[in-house]
Amino acid sequence: MMSPEFYSEVGNLLMWLLTAAWLLPLLGFVIEIFGGYWSDRKSKTPAYLAVGCIGTGFLLSLVALLTWVDAADLNLWHFGDTESAAVAHHEADAAEAGHEDDHSHSHDHADHSNAHGEHGDAHHDGGHHGGHESHANDPFKTAFAGTFYRLGKYGSLDITLDWYIDGLTVAMFAMVTLIATCIHIFAIGYMSDELTERYEDHFVHTEDGGHFHRVGRFYRFFAYLSLFCFAMLGLVLAGNIFQVFIFWELVGVCSYLLIGFYVERKTASTAANKAFIMNRVGDFGFLIGLMILWTWFGVFQFAETNPETVGSTGLFQMVRTADGELETQGEGREKVVVLQAQQGIHKDGGNPHPTIPYFLLVAAGLGIFGGCIGKSAQFPLQTWLPDAMEGPTPVSALVHSATMVAAGVYLVGRFYPMFTPEVLLVIAYTGCITLFVGATIAVVATDIKKVLAYSTISQLGYMMLALGVGGWLAGLFHLITHAFFKSLMFLCSGSVIHGCHHEQEMTKMGGLAKKMPITCWTMFVGVVAISGLAIPFLGIPKLGAIAFSGYHSKDAIVAAGMTFSSLNPIHSLLFFVPLITAGITAFYMFRMWFMTFFGKPKDQHVYDHAHESPRVMTAPLLILAFFAMFCAIGGENGPLAQLILTTEPVHVAEGAMEAGHIGLNLPGHHQIHEFHASAGAVALLVAFGGTILAYLFYGLGIVDTGAMQKQFGGVHEFLREKWMFDELYEWMWVRPTLVVATWAAAFDRCVLDRFLGFLAGMVVAISSWDRRFDEAVVDRLVNAVGEATSSVGRSLRYVQTGRLRQYVMFIAVSVVMLFFVLFAYLPR
Amino acid sequence: MSNPAFLLSATIFLPTLGALFLMVFDKKAEDAMRNFALVITAVTFGLTLLILQQFDRSEGGIQMAVSIPWVPTWNINYQLGVDGLSLPLVLLTGLISMLSCLASWSIKTKVRGFLMLFLILETGMMGVFLALDFFLFYVFWEVMLLPMYFLIGVWGGPRREYAAIKFFLYTLFGSVLMLIAMLMFYFNSASSEIAGNESIFDLLKLAEIAKVGGFDATMQIFAFILLFIGFAIKLPSFPVHTWLPDAHVEAPTPISMILAGVLLKMGGYGILRIAMPLCPYGTQYAAYALVALGVFSIVYGAFAAMAQTDFKRLVAYSSVSHMGYVLVGMAVWKISETGATENLNFWQLGMAGAMFQMIGHGISSAGMFFMVGVIYDRVHHRDLNKFGGLMQLMPLYSGLAVIIFFAGLGLPGLCGFIGEVFVVLSIWSYSPILAIITASAVILTAGYILWTIQRVYLGPEYKGPHKEEIVPITSRETTVAASLAVLAVLLGIFPYQLVLNLMDASIAQLTVSLSEGYAAVQETVTAVTQLSR
Repeated sequence: MMSPEFYSEVGNLLMWLLTAAWLLPLLGFVIEIFGGYWSDRKSKTPAYLAVGCIGTGFLLSLVALLTWVDAADLNLWHFGDTESAAVAHHEADAAEAGHEDDHSHSHDHADHSNAHGEHGDAHHDGGHHGGHESHANDPFKTAFAGTFYRLGKYGSLDITLDWYIDGLTVAMFAMVTLIATCIHIFAIGYMSDELTERYEDHFVHTEDGGHFHRVGRFYRFFAYLSLFCFAMLGLVLAGNIFQVFIFWELVGVCSYLLIGFYVERKTASTAANKAFIMNRVGDFGFLIGLMILWTWFGVFQFAETNPETVGSTGLFQMVRTADGELETQGEGREKVVVLQAQQGIHKDGGNPHPTIPYFLLVAAGLGIFGGCIGKSAQFPLQTWLPDAMEGPTPVSALVHSATMVAAGVYLVGRFYPMFTPEVLLVIAYTGCITLFVGATIAVVATDIKKVLAYSTISQLGYMMLALGVGGWLAGLFHLITHAFFKSLMFLCSGSVIHGCHHEQEMTKMGGLAKKMPITCWTMFVGVVAISGLAIPFLGIPKLGAIAFSGYHSKDAIVAAGMTFSSLNPIHSLLFFVPLITAGITAFYMFRMWFMTFFGKPKDQHVYDHAHESPRVMTAPLLILAFFAMFCAIGGENGPLAQLILTTEPVHVAEGAMEAGHIGLNLPGHHQIHEFHASAGAVALLVAFGGTILAYLFYGLGIVDTGAMQKQFGGVHEFLREKWMFDELYEWMWVRPTLVVATWAAAFDRCVLDRFLGFLAGMVVAISSWDRRFDEAVVDRLVNAVGEATSSVGRSLRYVQTGRLRQYVMFIAVSVVMLFFVLFAYLPR
Repeated sequence: MSNPAFLLSATIFLPTLGALFLMVFDKKAEDAMRNFALVITAVTFGLTLLILQQFDRSEGGIQMAVSIPWVPTWNINYQLGVDGLSLPLVLLTGLISMLSCLASWSIKTKVRGFLMLFLILETGMMGVFLALDFFLFYVFWEVMLLPMYFLIGVWGGPRREYAAIKFFLYTLFGSVLMLIAMLMFYFNSASSEIAGNESIFDLLKLAEIAKVGGFDATMQIFAFILLFIGFAIKLPSFPVHTWLPDAHVEAPTPISMILAGVLLKMGGYGILRIAMPLCPYGTQYAAYALVALGVFSIVYGAFAAMAQTDFKRLVAYSSVSHMGYVLVGMAVWKISETGATENLNFWQLGMAGAMFQMIGHGISSAGMFFMVGVIYDRVHHRDLNKFGGLMQLMPLYSGLAVIIFFAGLGLPGLCGFIGEVFVVLSIWSYSPILAIITASAVILTAGYILWTIQRVYLGPEYKGPHKEEIVPITSRETTVAASLAVLAVLLGIFPYQLVLNLMDASIAQLTVSLSEGYAAVQETVTAVTQLSR
């Protein structure tokens, strides 16, 4: 356990390092967007600035990574252990026996076991007290968290911007900044034809039939890239789920800007809109999740980790006890989860035993996962990602394969403690459907970038599946390895597209291996990595199997799936579908490679003009190829996996039996380990099958693929039409929305305004009646009275004679008559 | 300037003085008059900043209170003051007036008359936000109405008479209802000791009477409904919003900015300042209807916006949608069966969201209308299907426009986000179903705003008439647009530091006194029902 002083010292250092790495690209963005607007279109300065910012960010992240590893007292090198480190958790938990064995091993191992031993002790202590506050921080002792500043505070409701740094954060930072740096450098070459005052866009035609011309937008591209890096790093650094949402939207808008980079292309701007709106559909779910969590927990922070502030807690510490269990009460609809510590709305007394209904916790989890579905292009919101390939290829490499789309997977991993088994099952099935749908479409795609896009969808599905079946490490492990080999392949495809003068159709390529050898063979590294190929039966001592990074992580996923389906036979689809798809993956990836680089050139014109890319583009390929090969070295005992493993939520290692409402069995490390060898062998077999098939079809060409397409015309067409999702959504959502919109506008015009017009008409009608009444009745009456008065006056004129005797007579007669009347009518 | 009476009065009446002074200008010196008006609005804005500087953020009640007898016979006072609810809106008024004055260079005819009415309008708006006497409030409310009528009716578009009369009648209808309610309170207040057993118009004392349950339940309900209809017209809320699209479409650009930026906020402010404090029971009685109406306005406005082909109409409907959040946020007041307020903090969050939404919308919608105006001044049409390619022709303008439209979309980091999300976060504890409907609006909003951006700014070529007229944005226009864009960004990043902490104390005080006011009446109502059993 770190002393509080040391803790805050390290935490502050890490915070400053990563904050600098996070904010540098923002600074770059501001300078690039304004400087570029006012300066020369032919200047490469914006690019150098962007590379400088993100490159410095990488160095800072690297320092942070080392600092963290040092502070966490972690030894990442476990090769040569007889027992895999994955079991160490279990081992330390189960007994002290593991410690005795340590003597026979290296000193390093002992250290590591101690680390886990302490971990185990914490479990025991925590377990007895059931979420006692003083232990709330134990599982998070190598995580650092703190607050930047406040967005709003109402009583105990406090919305802030926070930071949260643990093993996953530093790993993600290093990965994102490294890949982004490579891609930035690559883009200097790839986007160089934007360095002009007059850029000719061959894809856009003006009304007079010519090509469209505009000024180059080199600076703008790098400005957007920088802004994206800022948003992405902010997402990873975020210390609360609300902040994740903020940056979630920001990466979304950067993606929008980058997909729609060629704003004059209708396809590009439509694809950008589609991406943003489908992401918002997912964010609708995200918002619902946020609302539920906020209402019932009253905090957004993941976890409060500072040893000095024991008792202050975040979501993870509230929902689970210190040993990672959900404490529930009641059954059926009445089932509630007991919140562990008083925080947020519960902090100021009130309810001493706060709870949240179980179904709401499930709903919140599903809502948050909804956001991940949108961002990570999972079924049923996967259709935006292939369209997003309208953006320049470096964008596809950075945003739409390595980082942003993986953010959904990252969030599922980060938010894992909040997910109940029901949610996990939904995640697993979503991933399972997605990986299959994506892979099948990739088989028939002929656009080189579309193949990679569907492959990305499929691979993201793998990660989701892994997380869903309890393979927490496998999912996030694959996230990192996939980021390297997929961004590599995208950049290779970019190099091909650049070399072929913006030709993307593989049906017009072929035989390019001679023309662009570096691209070809770096691409080969990526293809082998994603296919999960390895050299069987041979293993280097202390390093494990001879294979590239993808083998290790995919192996872990298949093992998790296999274990899960053996524990839950009813869900065995979750093993067989990914297994078969592993073969399909190898098939379509090698198909792409063979179609592009081998065989006879299919379009002589393209072939003649093809050339290898300049060094500024091939150098990043080589760097990424290196990482695609070796980043996962050692497999699950290697440094990368061990680094990620430090962040694993405490409840994952042991697994769970009959968990949740649906009684799901979640595999623990130990069980997965048992299946590891056999799963690896099966997966390898299938991958080889796919590879050989692709070689036969496209390498040797012994099967006429055209004839096969005709044979399976219906299926082929269905897959070419991407399972008809676009048409379905058009009819299900887009058109009805527009119809309702028209109704709303028409309601205003035809009902509300007409009613108003009717009212106004009524008023006018009433006034005109009023006028008529005035003229015909009131006026006439008044006139009549006047008339009568004047006629009376006129007639009285005759009486007014001026003769006094006559007046006296009138008076006398009147008085007599008055008396008469009075006497006649007054009561006696 | 330390004398509050002078400072506040100067803020209100300086524009009117300026309007009078405009009369001495030579008729042909149009630019001089514009510059003079700009200086006046700028100085007024400076005065509002001075108020801000003297304002104590920790104090929830009225500050810089001024009370001078005006018509002593009827207890009408010249009573002014600011608190956390009015100060942000006063600042907004000062700012938007200054910027829209800067946008008034596009007015070419009868410049003097325009500027005079414009400045009188500013007096009316400032007066509404600073008045604390119901009668004075009413007077300023009407003062603001008349110049607006002429500004739309004389300088407006082709259907200006229709729009001006529609606007006038709608608002007048609302103010008549307000007048009735005002008299109800005036005569009912005589029975209370707080008012010294006299009939009063003093809003603060009326609120105090309401807080101790001085107005009975039936009266509160009726008065609240009357006041609410009056203010909902201004807000505007469905179904009394249809004046807004017409008024906006016909009004000249600076007036659209004022309309959207400031006038709509008077509705929200009126509810917070008058309707709610004076009728706590009535508010709680109608709370669910208010929230539901707000939610419906959000969704309805978004749908209606999506179907528009007129650029300004689209922005106008987006206002209907966005102001729905204001209504929702204010009304998420949940009570337990015993009448005690539950989840007070969530209500405060909602109310802060509503207030912030008013400020944020004041900036983003004024910006959006200005952006429409800029392109309208060049090509003289607003048909969304006849734009396109502006990003190529006017890159700086398009860039600023995209920022402002994204602020309207509610993108995090820009001013539209905080208000919306605070409201959304507050509403689940009130009603989960309404919360889900509200959240769904994020999809619709994204839909119509992105579609608009695509149709207007993106694409290869401009498709409409007068292409030759399209010239890059001028430096005067850039100043207006960039100020709004910068503010949109700043408010989005530092909402608490810039705005929210101004009003937190007042919001806390308002919610607490409303809860007390409700509980006081609730007791008597319960007692009566038990007796009748």
